[in-house]
Amino acid sequence: MPIPPHPATLSRLRHMVAKADASGAAFPEDEPLDLGVGAIDAALGGGLARGTLHEVFPAAPIQIGAATGFALALAQQAVTHHGRKQALWIQQDFVATEAGIPHGLGIDLWGFRLERLLVLRVSRSREALWAMEEALKCRALAAVIAELADHNAGFDLTATRRLAHAARRGGGIGLLLRQRPQALPSIAMTRWVVASTPGITDPLGGMGRPTFELSLVRNRRGPCGRWIIEWNRDERLFVPATLPGDLAAAARNGSNRAMFARAG
Amino acid sequence: MLAPAKSKPRIIVGERGAARRLTAVNDAAARLGLEPDMPLADAQAMYPALERAEADPEQDRFLLEKIADWCDRYTPLIGLHPPDGLILDISGCAHLFGGETALCRDLVGRLEGQGFKVRAAIADTVGCAAGVARFSQTGPEADIVSPGATKAALMPLPLAGLRLSGRVVRALAQVGLKRVADIVDQPRAPLAARFGISLVRRLDQALGDEDEPIAPRRPLPPYVVERRFGDPIALEADILGTIEHLAHELARMMERRGEGARLVQLALFRTDGRVHRIAIGTAAPLRDTQRLRRLFADKLATLGDECDPGFGFDVVRLSVGVTQRCDPVQTGLESINLAGDLAHLIDRLSARFGPQRVMRLIPQDTHIPEFAIVALPAQTLLHQTRSHHAGQEPTFACGPLSGQDSLAPVRPIRLFERPEPVEAVAEVPDGPPVRFRWRHVLHEVMTAEGPERIAMEWWRDEAGQVLTRDYFRVESRQGARVWLYREGLYERETIQPRWFLHGLFA
Repeated sequence: MPIPPHPATLSRLRHMVAKADASGAAFPEDEPLDLGVGAIDAALGGGLARGTLHEVFPAAPIQIGAATGFALALAQQAVTHHGRKQALWIQQDFVATEAGIPHGLGIDLWGFRLERLLVLRVSRSREALWAMEEALKCRALAAVIAELADHNAGFDLTATRRLAHAARRGGGIGLLLRQRPQALPSIAMTRWVVASTPGITDPLGGMGRPTFELSLVRNRRGPCGRWIIEWNRDERLFVPATLPGDLAAAARNGSNRAMFARAG
Repeated sequence: MLAPAKSKPRIIVGERGAARRLTAVNDAAARLGLEPDMPLADAQAMYPALERAEADPEQDRFLLEKIADWCDRYTPLIGLHPPDGLILDISGCAHLFGGETALCRDLVGRLEGQGFKVRAAIADTVGCAAGVARFSQTGPEADIVSPGATKAALMPLPLAGLRLSGRVVRALAQVGLKRVADIVDQPRAPLAARFGISLVRRLDQALGDEDEPIAPRRPLPPYVVERRFGDPIALEADILGTIEHLAHELARMMERRGEGARLVQLALFRTDGRVHRIAIGTAAPLRDTQRLRRLFADKLATLGDECDPGFGFDVVRLSVGVTQRCDPVQTGLESINLAGDLAHLIDRLSARFGPQRVMRLIPQDTHIPEFAIVALPAQTLLHQTRSHHAGQEPTFACGPLSGQDSLAPVRPIRLFERPEPVEAVAEVPDGPPVRFRWRHVLHEVMTAEGPERIAMEWWRDEAGQVLTRDYFRVESRQGARVWLYREGLYERETIQPRWFLHGLFA
């Protein structure tokens, strides 16, 4: 009967393997990136793993803004909790017309400092994959966000495996941001489906803090799950959402979750 | 020089003033007694069935530029002398080819091999060389004017050899002055008074009494290294190896002067005369040979067939166009040079995709959403504030607002470069929307904030054509937040305002 490994032993062994690895993968900060919400971090086994790929999907095409916000928030966590301070956003031209370009003022308001962001525009998905691979290998980048057109050729399991390998070498996080809620095969560590939900309106009747309904539909290191969280852009951290009862109940059922869990 | 020798008589015809005249004839036509500047009517009267072609000065100029590019293999300092002349400053270059005679023979031989008819002359002054090359009656061996023999070489030349305008030459001929010898010892003042100052200047320039700078076609790079091959190379690995070798030499030279390269140019001279030029900019002063090789490897990979080696390259030249001070950096054993890594990544991406595509977003002082951010090449921004210390992040002058406060107007995280038309319904013509249809999907509006009224700045809109926009921040029933605007003020600017979706909030 197999004995479940003790977490501490496992982590010690991982460190030993990392040190023995001649490619120099033993980067000093390889502990996971904690999101600050206990339930999510627990599901992720301590936080979002660095040196891996993660996929972010919008729940509907109009929710691409929410997915973008979540990806940027993750990148923001990576640049603050990490020795490196820069993030790269790779965008394919087609995506720019389809889903808009990153808007500097909005990004700044979102809590991501503009001088930490590099933006690369490419025309073909093959170029985007090349750029992402090279960027992931670069140790100066904390996060690489890539937006590829969904119908692109060349994006397959092999391509994601190459990216994952590059990410492991570089130690940053790779975020694949998609425009449509259709999962493609990939070997990403986690897969998130993001929708914004109506948050609490502020006392003056305006819109409240940005609130996400977050579905973790694929997690190679633990259980999947579903949470409603807020992003506090002033403090730059996630907090569990404080929702009125009817809104929490109105959160949609996970009918599309099965599809995401199956693919890839 | 530009007319290739053909056996059939052939003439080139162009407009000269009001008349159509011959601009060039080939050898066969010259033997028939035809010559340039002859009216076409005369030539056709003599030989009605002449083969002729239209002159194309632009193409001639283009060809001359190409030949000048090719001549770059001998010296970087080349001036054009249209329509058909080139001036090469070979000071300090001749010994590389085994002396002036050998250089001259090599150049003429190679150009003739490409089908051009060439006359070359080497002299102390531009004027003398140009005159001798065009008008010398002696054999080719005499076309090298030894130092000090300038005047003697000029004496027998016709006055047209001084690069004078036709009017001046004719005026001189009327008074019986035909050769340089006729005027060289005349007093200058009467000559200048009668025939214009240009005559005296040209004479002085040819004699070397007045300096005549060559306007170089390209700026002279501060560092140039090159390698010549007896057998041309064509394999990419060979080319990259050569680049790395040359980069080593460059790095040594630049290190001595405490400089690093910001712009590196590679010139590949093909054996058939074409020259490929590849320029690579860097974000920070660069001396690292491996990185330089990497950049060119990326660039060559993207160029692909554009950089066709043909039968191979026989000269590879690497030059540094722009340099910047670059002090040696102490690299720690443990700390990784993050700033250097980032600069290298930016260089590689810029080399591969073009500097315009690797951008940083810089806020601008304007309220118009589409102008509020300008994307500038990261390469040009980085070097200004580059820090050598690991972990220390570069900072930029980020325009007027960096770290906006909570009172800043709310802006979406994604913006459409072209606002997307939507169908929207508002309860009152100038009120917020209650529902909108975007890409065939109907969304009910739960909450709307606005309007935020943004009118075009008057200095951007001189004609007053751009309508005022009322922006609404809208939350749908499902929670999606979008930025809509109504174009045109109801009843003041338009009766039927149109709605657009301009951005998406997180």
